[in-house]
Amino acid sequence: MKIRDIVLVGIFSAAATAGKLVLSFIPNVEIVTLLFILFTVTLGLKRSFFITLVFVSTDILLYGFSTWVIGYYLIWPLLVLITSMLGRKFNSEYAFAIIGGLFGFLFGAFFAITESFFYGLSYGFAYWVNGLLFDLVHGVSNFIIILFLFKPLKKMLDSQMARWQIL
Amino acid sequence: MKKKIITVVSVILAAVVLFAAYKVFLAPKGTEGSKQVTVQIVIEKENIDETFTYKTDHEFLTDLLKEKQDELGASFESFDFGTMITGLMNYSVDPNSEYFHFQVNGEDSMVGTDDTPIQDGDSYKFVLSTF
Repeated sequence: MKIRDIVLVGIFSAAATAGKLVLSFIPNVEIVTLLFILFTVTLGLKRSFFITLVFVSTDILLYGFSTWVIGYYLIWPLLVLITSMLGRKFNSEYAFAIIGGLFGFLFGAFFAITESFFYGLSYGFAYWVNGLLFDLVHGVSNFIIILFLFKPLKKMLDSQMARWQIL
Repeated sequence: MKKKIITVVSVILAAVVLFAAYKVFLAPKGTEGSKQVTVQIVIEKENIDETFTYKTDHEFLTDLLKEKQDELGASFESFDFGTMITGLMNYSVDPNSEYFHFQVNGEDSMVGTDDTPIQDGDSYKFVLSTF
């Protein structure tokens, strides 16, 4: 990994954290999913993978250590991996909006599974059902945000990357 | 752009349908009819340990507590996330250090009184605690 890559990872993970904090007053409406999909498509799998790790580590500093940390260390790299795999085949904002929408809708289910390892299956199920409405908001908002913002942000990021001869 | 707007409207409509399905099939429901429950309030520093027995048709605990507000000496505060009990037996908590710890049938509740369905035979316990 070159020094330039390390700097990029730092800058873009900071952008993701800032994006998260800015929208944190609206439950489950976020731009982190959009940004990670965008980073994966623009910067590639390896850099984006490290961006997610730095992002989650920063979250621990902000919110403290608990069981959700394990889920976070798995789910964001998973999003990057899925985007990287599917992004090559379906390169349109609709495809990415669907990926982001499903990701948001299944976010609670994924955490229900990781929480089940600590507190049991019945707790996991209750956790999932209790959060279903939030998952619905998460999925729908992800879909809309990505559908409208992915393309202009991609264009902007591509031109900046070309300007600084990064790619 | 028109295609995108049509897509977004379709997705929102689908979400509304899912929301309705959730409300009908999955949201917590109370059982109608006559149910007997006990409400215990413990405030150690005031030497209060009182138990009340009620028969009720309310579906959720907050409704029962509000109906019996005078007898329980209860006060409430509404937040976005639900109703918070700020006082019982005419004792108001210090919001900076105290709260009423809430248990259902001897176990710590995962939800507040708004989301606690009243079941026949339930016992609810509120213990003044510090944090």
